[in-house]
Amino acid sequence: MNSLRIARAALRVRSAAVRTTQQCRGYAEAVPDKIKLSLSLPHQPHPPQPIYKSQDVVQVNMTAHSGVMGVLANHVPAIEQLAPGVVEVIEESGGSKQFFLSGGFAVIQPKSVMSINAVEGFPVEDFSPENVKAQIDEATKVANGSGSEQDIAEAKIELEVLESLQAALK
Amino acid sequence: MTFAWKAAGITYNRYLAVAARVVRRSLKDDKRLAAERRGESDLRFAKWSNGKQGDVKNLADANAAAAVASAATGGQ
Repeated sequence: MNSLRIARAALRVRSAAVRTTQQCRGYAEAVPDKIKLSLSLPHQPHPPQPIYKSQDVVQVNMTAHSGVMGVLANHVPAIEQLAPGVVEVIEESGGSKQFFLSGGFAVIQPKSVMSINAVEGFPVEDFSPENVKAQIDEATKVANGSGSEQDIAEAKIELEVLESLQAALK
Repeated sequence: MTFAWKAAGITYNRYLAVAARVVRRSLKDDKRLAAERRGESDLRFAKWSNGKQGDVKNLADANAAAAVASAATGGQ
């Protein structure tokens, strides 16, 4: 009689346990913790290869016009206009790669899909600090000179890019 | 947010082209030569009116002239 009561109590406990597990999230529907990143440039949409093509990465840090931001998986959908600056990609292996992009857009879509499009972009180590320095001198001269308004405005754009590039190379 | 280049009558397209050009020029010399070739373009056009072809002009020169005119009026 007594053992029967214990068994029935155990049954009740188990059915309660079954109810709670049904409300939990199972492994199969676990949310992804990686971003599928595509980073492509107009002049290399096909082979040799876009820099990234739906590759799983951990984090993307970028210089947007609204500020420097880091993007992880499950970010809210957003469109960001990129300022000339460095995009840092932290890959699955834990290593990170830095690219300097001239300007473009980053689109963050639902379910951790992200695409970045830029006009020009190269790994930071491909740049020559001497060439940057020489161009800063030249652009500064034009920006402070007495050229047309168009020339001065373009020299100021160049200076903005070059100063960002110089900071990235340090 | 207003940008200084916008106030000077430069379009976003032109801004991107200038920024891309300066990035290409900053590369190490071997990559720079390959990349700078992408920035070159040579296109000519002519305006036709009343069945007659007008002067043949270089598109880049005409664009630059239009940009200067646009900058002078502040993009209006």
